Amino acid sequence: MELSESVQRGFQTLADPGSFDSNAFALLLRAAFQSLLDAQADEAVLDHPDLKHIDPVVLKYCHAAAATYILEAGKHRADKSTLSTFLEDCKFDRERIELFCTEYQNNKNSLESLLESIGRSLPHITDVSWRLEYQIKTNQLHKMYRPAYLVTLNVENTDSQSYPEISFSCNMEQLQDLVGKLKDASKSLERATQL
Amino acid sequence: MLLDLSEEHKEHLAFLPRVDGAGKLNVSSDTVQHGVEGLTYLLTESSKLMISELDFQDSVFVLGFSEELNKLLLQLYLDNRKEIRTILNELAPDLPTYHSLEWRLDVQLASRSLRQQIKPAVTFKLHLNHNGDHSTKVLQTDPATLLHLVQQLEQALEEMKTNHCRRVVRNIK
Repeated sequence: MELSESVQRGFQTLADPGSFDSNAFALLLRAAFQSLLDAQADEAVLDHPDLKHIDPVVLKYCHAAAATYILEAGKHRADKSTLSTFLEDCKFDRERIELFCTEYQNNKNSLESLLESIGRSLPHITDVSWRLEYQIKTNQLHKMYRPAYLVTLNVENTDSQSYPEISFSCNMEQLQDLVGKLKDASKSLERATQL
Repeated sequence: MLLDLSEEHKEHLAFLPRVDGAGKLNVSSDTVQHGVEGLTYLLTESSKLMISELDFQDSVFVLGFSEELNKLLLQLYLDNRKEIRTILNELAPDLPTYHSLEWRLDVQLASRSLRQQIKPAVTFKLHLNHNGDHSTKVLQTDPATLLHLVQQLEQALEEMKTNHCRRVVRNIK
């Protein structure tokens, strides 16, 4: 994990009981996790009466440093020893190290979920709908008398947040082919997960 | 059901018996064109309506051709009917049709935002045809959705075997 100087300086300040007493430290830590993980969090997250006595510039600086580190740690799946080592290097006392590690552990799953969901991927199929019809005639062709399916795939695009649909028609044979292939993929997946 | 041939059609087709054995045509290009158009109309309309052999023979009878020519026309109709109907089918308002599906199993191991992942996914290449154009769509899904897709589409296939559908198919002819 590569951490910038500002992150390190922010943590050194957080370690100092003169700048952040135990209560203020705990509040700032919680605020950092909240800003990252709570979708409804806003700037008011630092607006706590017990943080009022701290210079707002210092508060923001340390809050940013904490959030940055938390994301980096989450990204690299840092374990307790990695966290401890870094915090020790920043001159944290035992109590604060424990507190940080506990908060991190409590929020680890949400953090990893969040990080996992960021990124580009191919359009993702979320659902399928189908319609069965019996074709009788068109103006070009009479006496058709055959079943046909209309299949619509609901698709989600991660980056554009759009929801296009892919629709196509097929006859019985073609649908059987499609289902057959989907089942092959499914069985293959099952086998692979058993390895 | 008999074919309804207008006077104009009958006139166009009247040129057919005049084609001599050697295949040489001693007529104007207009006449030839009309003849071809008339023949085309005869065959496409017959195919579209899927008229029976008997009905076709009766329809052609009014043109007053020789026995031999009538037989020839009937054979032409029967030989080409299926293909003509396939072509006519493509003229209907249409959605892309399914052609085939390719699939691939993937496991995402890491991304820029998160390392050490094991995220299985299935990637598809869906081949579709639309009015002669071939298109492909590359899509992905997760294992749970894949099972859901299979289940839903199997239900769709099962539907054709229900009493309701069988009754409809039996009775609408």
